[in-house]
Amino acid sequence: MLKSIKPSTDGVSRKTGFRRFSDVGISTYLMLSPFAILFLVFSVYPVLSSLRLSFMRYNAICNPDQSPCGSVGFGNYTTLIFQDDRFHKALSNTALYVIGAVILGMIASLSLALALQEDTRANRILRVIFFLPSVTSGIAVVLVWGWVFRGDAVGLLNAILNLVGVEPIEWLATTWMAIPILIFMSMWGGAGFGMILFLAGLNSIPAMYYEAAVIDGAGPRQRFRYITLPLLRPVMVYVGITGTIGAFQIFEGVYLLFPTSVGSIGGLQDMALMIVPYLYDAGFNKFRLGYASAIAWILFAIIFVVSMINLRITRSLEDLK
Amino acid sequence: MSTVLTKSEVKRNDKLMERSGSFTNPFERKSRVSKFRRVPIYLLTVVMIAPYYWMITSSLKSVKELQVVPPTLFPKKIIWGNYFDSNFNPTMFQQDVMQGLFQRYPDLKFGFFRFMMNSFFVNISITISTLIIGSLAAYVVSKHRFKGKKAVYLVIIGSMMIPWQVGLIPGFLLMDQFGWLNTFWAYIVPALPKAFIVFFLTQYLTSIPDELVEAARIDGASEFTIYFRVILPLLKPALIAMMIFTAIGEWNNFLWPLIITTSQDMATLPVALANLRNSGAGNIGTQGVIMGASLITSIPTIALYFATQKHFIRGIALSGLK
Repeated sequence: MLKSIKPSTDGVSRKTGFRRFSDVGISTYLMLSPFAILFLVFSVYPVLSSLRLSFMRYNAICNPDQSPCGSVGFGNYTTLIFQDDRFHKALSNTALYVIGAVILGMIASLSLALALQEDTRANRILRVIFFLPSVTSGIAVVLVWGWVFRGDAVGLLNAILNLVGVEPIEWLATTWMAIPILIFMSMWGGAGFGMILFLAGLNSIPAMYYEAAVIDGAGPRQRFRYITLPLLRPVMVYVGITGTIGAFQIFEGVYLLFPTSVGSIGGLQDMALMIVPYLYDAGFNKFRLGYASAIAWILFAIIFVVSMINLRITRSLEDLK
Repeated sequence: MSTVLTKSEVKRNDKLMERSGSFTNPFERKSRVSKFRRVPIYLLTVVMIAPYYWMITSSLKSVKELQVVPPTLFPKKIIWGNYFDSNFNPTMFQQDVMQGLFQRYPDLKFGFFRFMMNSFFVNISITISTLIIGSLAAYVVSKHRFKGKKAVYLVIIGSMMIPWQVGLIPGFLLMDQFGWLNTFWAYIVPALPKAFIVFFLTQYLTSIPDELVEAARIDGASEFTIYFRVILPLLKPALIAMMIFTAIGEWNNFLWPLIITTSQDMATLPVALANLRNSGAGNIGTQGVIMGASLITSIPTIALYFATQKHFIRGIALSGLK
């Protein structure tokens, strides 16, 4: 509506000689410049610089301006993609983690939203409780989980299992456990946030759809399948994409719960090594800055492609209808 | 099966829906299982609360009690030694100190309070400045016309697609060049340009008619007057939502503070917490202090959330589902 009005008012102001938008002049730049300058220096420059660094050999003894170091072309990328076993491990771990965390997290969020949909006093309190982890410091939470999954008898999970006679289990040193534990932690921490989004989606579905469905004799299952699910699709896309992007960037849990004895990161046999922790390890433990920058750009490429695929899939699903 | 609703039933139905926001069919009798359907939810609730419960109770246990197998569900005797230890001996080696959170940093002015002050200072500075800078930019982008405006907006939106870790290494090198490592500058300045805030506020402002701004302009108001008198009041709900998100996000930030701090005294709470845990080296006796510090780190954001709950939830709905 407003858009159609805009040109006409513009015309009027031109004829009558009022100050036009374009006349505000210098104030435009004055007001934009604080953000623009900071944005250029601290957001745009680092991204471009990191692209440049990713083609460089740059480490503790070698800096890009020295002659034998300098540019290595796609060297960092080819090493990462074809030779670096640790990076491959980080990739496969991250893939498993992201798939598990996003799908299970989505199911958990939607189930919670449906279970707590009715606006009763009890549900309002429960919603707050389920949402709390989203505002709690990740480090604080990880430290509690660290105690829960301790390998000795004072570990909480082991203490509980001991009640039924199970011997203490080394949770954080059992290779196949690492990813499930991290997925569990992400669900505990993130399900409440998804729940709030789904609740907003559920509340925006007009009640008359359900009313009409009831009159036509649709049961609760059918109403869910043919009304709730399709109308929640935009929320699901949003939760899915933001959840995926967030999951790819996991760091804190790995950093604190899965150190290695040699001052590196990733746990026993790199069982919990992920992309961002590996980036941190390469950059700030090994001081291979060019290499770490290449990892960062691969991370970006993966997130970009996955988000696009995500959008494409949902769009083609809509076309099917 | 088709059902015909009488007028009064329809009315009752409408009321029900208005109240609950969801539809419950009055004709489907509640099944007998429904009493037990809530059991899984309550079990899950226990899982959700357990870590908080454990943080609080463990921080009130003695070193001896922390070592008991199996762990006690409730402290036998509530002690405050993990926060303030009356038997604290400042000549003891750092690694032997089990308790006394507020005494265990004798080299630091203000001890553990120092980390809390760092966190509050960094957080408040970032939140206020980023909102001012962002709202100014959003006003210009949404209500001014200038050359290259579309390109500017596109770059801002486009930057949101790039994970921030991409700029991590050059960001660190930049801080090094500026000599900002281990200073508040490194915490605050790089955190100021937030593309999402500009994007969100611009979206919000486009729904406000241009005529409001034009009218003020015709009355001779300067651009800064318009910003303060017209734009800021209109933006208030959006600004409150962004303020809460920024404050909570910055408070819990970990990776950036981790790489830019090189000495203990400049650490914010999350970094101090990680250091504390690493210095404890997994000794179960130090868990009381660690849980106490975790609790102190968690409380401010939770308090902010409780204080602003309504704005918070509306903010999520606003920013997420546009």
